[in-house]
Amino acid sequence: MPGQKNIKNVVLDSLWRDNPIFRQILGICSALAVTNLVLNTMVMGTAVIFTTALSSLTVSLLRRWTPRVVRMMIETLIIAFYVILFDQTLKAYWPDMSRNLGPYVGLIITNCIIMGRAEAFANSNKPGLSFIDGLFSGLGYALVLIAVAMIRELFGMGALLGTPMPFFSSSLWDRWIIMVMPPGAFFTLAIIVWIFRSLRFSKSEQTKEAEK
Amino acid sequence: MKIKNQIWFPVLYIFILTLVLSSILILFGLFTRKRVEDNTRIALERSVLEVLPIDLADKIPTNQVHQLYTKLIRDPDASSGKAFRYIEADSLIAYILPVQGPGFWAAIKGVIGIAVDQKTVTGISFYEQNETPGLGGEIVSQTFRRQFVGKKLGAGKAPLEIRMPAEPIDENSVHAVTGATQTSMRLSKFLNEALLTWQRAVTEKGE
Repeated sequence: MPGQKNIKNVVLDSLWRDNPIFRQILGICSALAVTNLVLNTMVMGTAVIFTTALSSLTVSLLRRWTPRVVRMMIETLIIAFYVILFDQTLKAYWPDMSRNLGPYVGLIITNCIIMGRAEAFANSNKPGLSFIDGLFSGLGYALVLIAVAMIRELFGMGALLGTPMPFFSSSLWDRWIIMVMPPGAFFTLAIIVWIFRSLRFSKSEQTKEAEK
Repeated sequence: MKIKNQIWFPVLYIFILTLVLSSILILFGLFTRKRVEDNTRIALERSVLEVLPIDLADKIPTNQVHQLYTKLIRDPDASSGKAFRYIEADSLIAYILPVQGPGFWAAIKGVIGIAVDQKTVTGISFYEQNETPGLGGEIVSQTFRRQFVGKKLGAGKAPLEIRMPAEPIDENSVHAVTGATQTSMRLSKFLNEALLTWQRAVTEKGE
């Protein structure tokens, strides 16, 4: 990436133009697994935001000292540190949620979004900007996940955040049980990626025309 | 900059960073360990309190669970099988039998309350399960659990049957969770095994 980027570009890239999920198709594993209830998804999103922001910050702070040859190991170490910290906090202070999310909090360590941001951005940018990049990449991930979770919980259980919704919780709506099962995640995520990508591309074509 | 070019520098660097980060994690782990252990115990104690034949607040505040538990519940003794005992004014009111077994995804652990007549169910509650939210996970819902209250344990091979939602039920059976046949069948299996073992244990002692 040539030169330093400004904050506005970093934010826009992370949230929309280069959104980790529908542009880079990263972090799909957890996006499929924890999106059957909106509340679980929100906590998972928070965990990823926390980890990407702080690990990007730390990687960037250490970037002048980290030897190139071992930088991937160092990044993994730092990411694992923050993930375990979050997992431990959940276990101690929100045991029910910790049980709901099961192994997926620990698996954030292997979430490619975080490693990706550390490698592609934090390694070669200033700490402040890296923190913002991490924060908004995590947010970009969380927003797509919440969109998937809202569709799955609403169609599959007729509720949002556990609150029954009008129409969907009534007898007029036959709950689509498949939506809360694993296949529902594949369908929903694919459709959302499709929609967002079509929106994104039609928009970038317009900008190109405007530039001409 | 010189030290950075040494061949051993990466090793030292990783060593120091690992040392610092793991030390923080270990300290944090020590700091939260008691809370984590408490959480596990309180989950069990809350479940036990939920199956008692008395009206307690819907959601007992976490800090009162342990206090209430120690006041009301005694550990299993020779005559109660493996069940905890609920004692009020020196007399036995109910047995609370721990049950556990494989669910659809992971182990299900819970307790079932049985009145002193050794037949009437006073309630059921689960403190550990990882079933599909919205399907098997519904075993923790009030709708499913309330069915058990007042049912009688039968004398047959399955003291408390869990039947498919379309089948009729009687005083020895309840309805399974719709759409969660696997969870319900597995629950039924280990619940009934535990009940049979318990029935045998208490009748032998009684004779």
